[in-house]
Amino acid sequence: MKKKCLLFLVIAAWVGLSLGVFSTASFAEEKEVIYLSLADYTGPIAGLNVPADMGLEDYIKEINAKGGVEGITIKFIGIDTRYDVARAVSAYKRYRRTPRLLMVNSISTGIGKALARLIEKDKRAQLVPGDGEFQAHLGRTFIWGPAYQDAFAAIMGWVMDDWKAKGKSGAPVVGYLSWDNPYGREPLRGGKEYAESRGIKVLPPEFFPPGTLKHDVYLTRLAEGGADYIYAGGVDPTPTNVIRDAYALGLTKRIQFLNGYWGPTALGIGIHADALEGTAIVSFFQRGTDALMNKEPTELWKKYRGALDAYNEVYGMGMSWAMTYVAGVKEALKEVGYKKLNADEVYKAYQRITGFERAGIQGPCAYSPSSRRGSLEVKIYRVKGGKIMPITDWRKVPDAVSLHTF
Amino acid sequence: MRPCGVFDKSYAQDIAIVRTWQHWTILISALIVLYLFPLFGSYYLTSFMNLLAISVIAVLGLQIVSGYCGQISFGQAAFMAIGAYTSSVLTIHFGVSFWLALPLSGIVAGAVGIIGGAPSLRIKGMYLAMATIAIHFVVIWLILHLDITGSFKGLYPPYPSVGGFEFDTDERMYYIIMTVMVIMTYAARNLMRTKVGRAFVAIRDNDLAGEVMGVNLYHYKLLAFFIACFYAGIAGSLWAHLITVVNAEQFTLLHALEYVGMLIIGGMGSIPGVFFGVLFIRILNEAVMFTSPALAKSLPWLGTSPAAALGLIAFGLAVIIFLIFEPRGLAHRWEIFKASYRLYPFAY
Repeated sequence: MKKKCLLFLVIAAWVGLSLGVFSTASFAEEKEVIYLSLADYTGPIAGLNVPADMGLEDYIKEINAKGGVEGITIKFIGIDTRYDVARAVSAYKRYRRTPRLLMVNSISTGIGKALARLIEKDKRAQLVPGDGEFQAHLGRTFIWGPAYQDAFAAIMGWVMDDWKAKGKSGAPVVGYLSWDNPYGREPLRGGKEYAESRGIKVLPPEFFPPGTLKHDVYLTRLAEGGADYIYAGGVDPTPTNVIRDAYALGLTKRIQFLNGYWGPTALGIGIHADALEGTAIVSFFQRGTDALMNKEPTELWKKYRGALDAYNEVYGMGMSWAMTYVAGVKEALKEVGYKKLNADEVYKAYQRITGFERAGIQGPCAYSPSSRRGSLEVKIYRVKGGKIMPITDWRKVPDAVSLHTF
Repeated sequence: MRPCGVFDKSYAQDIAIVRTWQHWTILISALIVLYLFPLFGSYYLTSFMNLLAISVIAVLGLQIVSGYCGQISFGQAAFMAIGAYTSSVLTIHFGVSFWLALPLSGIVAGAVGIIGGAPSLRIKGMYLAMATIAIHFVVIWLILHLDITGSFKGLYPPYPSVGGFEFDTDERMYYIIMTVMVIMTYAARNLMRTKVGRAFVAIRDNDLAGEVMGVNLYHYKLLAFFIACFYAGIAGSLWAHLITVVNAEQFTLLHALEYVGMLIIGGMGSIPGVFFGVLFIRILNEAVMFTSPALAKSLPWLGTSPAAALGLIAFGLAVIIFLIFEPRGLAHRWEIFKASYRLYPFAY
């Protein structure tokens, strides 16, 4: 009997707590706009997504604390999709008809693709990580930075520079290894064409299912194929684990490893610093020492999260999403005012905030009527002595999307 | 068990699914409410009902092969994928109407299911479970590497239509999905009263004894897999044409595990158990999504992502608590309730 009472009390408290909030929210008569994050807080990309949404949420808190966007409070709704398309579609349908839901961040290439049609139908806009298809076919889906293939092309450009700097003749051989899913294959759609146009030989790519624990077979095949460079895709800790395996096989001594946006962060470096030493990372947002020296996101972190020991640079990227959203809402308000403010107006406004600066976290905003890229610049970083340090300045990415027929 | 004072007077009455006029009243009322639901239910609830019904169809198949025939399978998500892709390929590449693609997707999934079920002739228990997991990965690998399936890019199947009328909203699709669910539920319920259904149960309870009694294990085990995969194929087809985009990421092993979880929670070997299990898991999932933002707001020091994780913990806790207090599934609890109601005012 006692057990049942206890169980009942726990459930009642949980439901009560939630309902209590709903009732206050529904009676409140404040001006409000909504930002929906279809995020992965407990699944395979949680390592990336949790700190990113922390940055987003903290920035929104900060804006709200200062009176909101011209008196309008931003309501942040974070839903844990666990990287599951069905859950994300269901969650979006739950909020689909919510007034003032002005932006949806679909944090997964698969989820973004699944929602794209609904988003078009609803005359709303969504954000997705870096799928070049959304640049190739302009619609209501914006990407966070340059497309994956643009970044791949940028690091191929660096590979050529590095190859020449090492005094080697001819062109290098590059291996590609990533998750066997839409995200894992995206960088090659245009990126491969770019690499080949520069004379780089790209080996047949290797793909493995997300969650794979050992990568020896794939790495050995690429090494035997004569790879001078290997691009390891996947979301951290996957790239870290790939390079850990390569290190154990002794491959990191003779092959230069490369990573994309979601390559080793503070998370991976903290675990396998030795293995990652020398790894090059291409990123559209500030990483490592760069990120730690940027005052705005680090101060925000200190205010809401405490000491910088646990700071993850992805936090800044999340903050950048929020800054863009605030700029988009402001732009829409300027055009139509609060009464007429809707998702369609924010979609249009996003195309007018070209050049908007986001505290140097990433390059200037590149959204425009002909661009869905969040920015056009990347930096190349390298792991040195357990730290991620920049080895180039911001450089404009090549347009690799246009090289591929989608 | 009949309510006090109700007796069967003929064999037909004895085997009837709907036995009394009260049953008929409840059934007809339930169907009326079901079909009128989009008129008074919100958009979100209607779309949620679609998701529920598709899950019910998939889990009904699993109930037949696992709950009734005792052949454990973790391949249901993969067979759903086969159905979804078959339907998409047929409608996109061959211009086949959805109405024909729907049953064909069930048949193709069922045919592949026969191949997938073949190991059950030699292995059982955990070994069979492992074999079905392997089938899952083979299917997903093929989807990701074949051109006809759109490879990693996926496919964009059209909405179903009849003479220019498109079922392009959740409310419109609702009627198709619910009708299919009702038919499939009736078929599953009826199947269990036939010679085939009894053979399945005999195999589950003791396959050796069943074989001695003349049950052809080879035939019936494969038939069970065919039917289960047929159900999964139909569910996959409906899913594909509801969201009009399919890619391999929509059919993960986690989904297959979730379906098995629904079966265990609802109750193995019970058609109502399928509904209970699906409702329990889906509602809990939605409750977690619904309450997480609210929890985050009421406990601002916690933040959004930990609140979402709290939801996940609540989900896990609920399942564990449930399994401790009612390991035979919600269907058993329902049977107890029905028995006490029917015997009232007597205790037994």
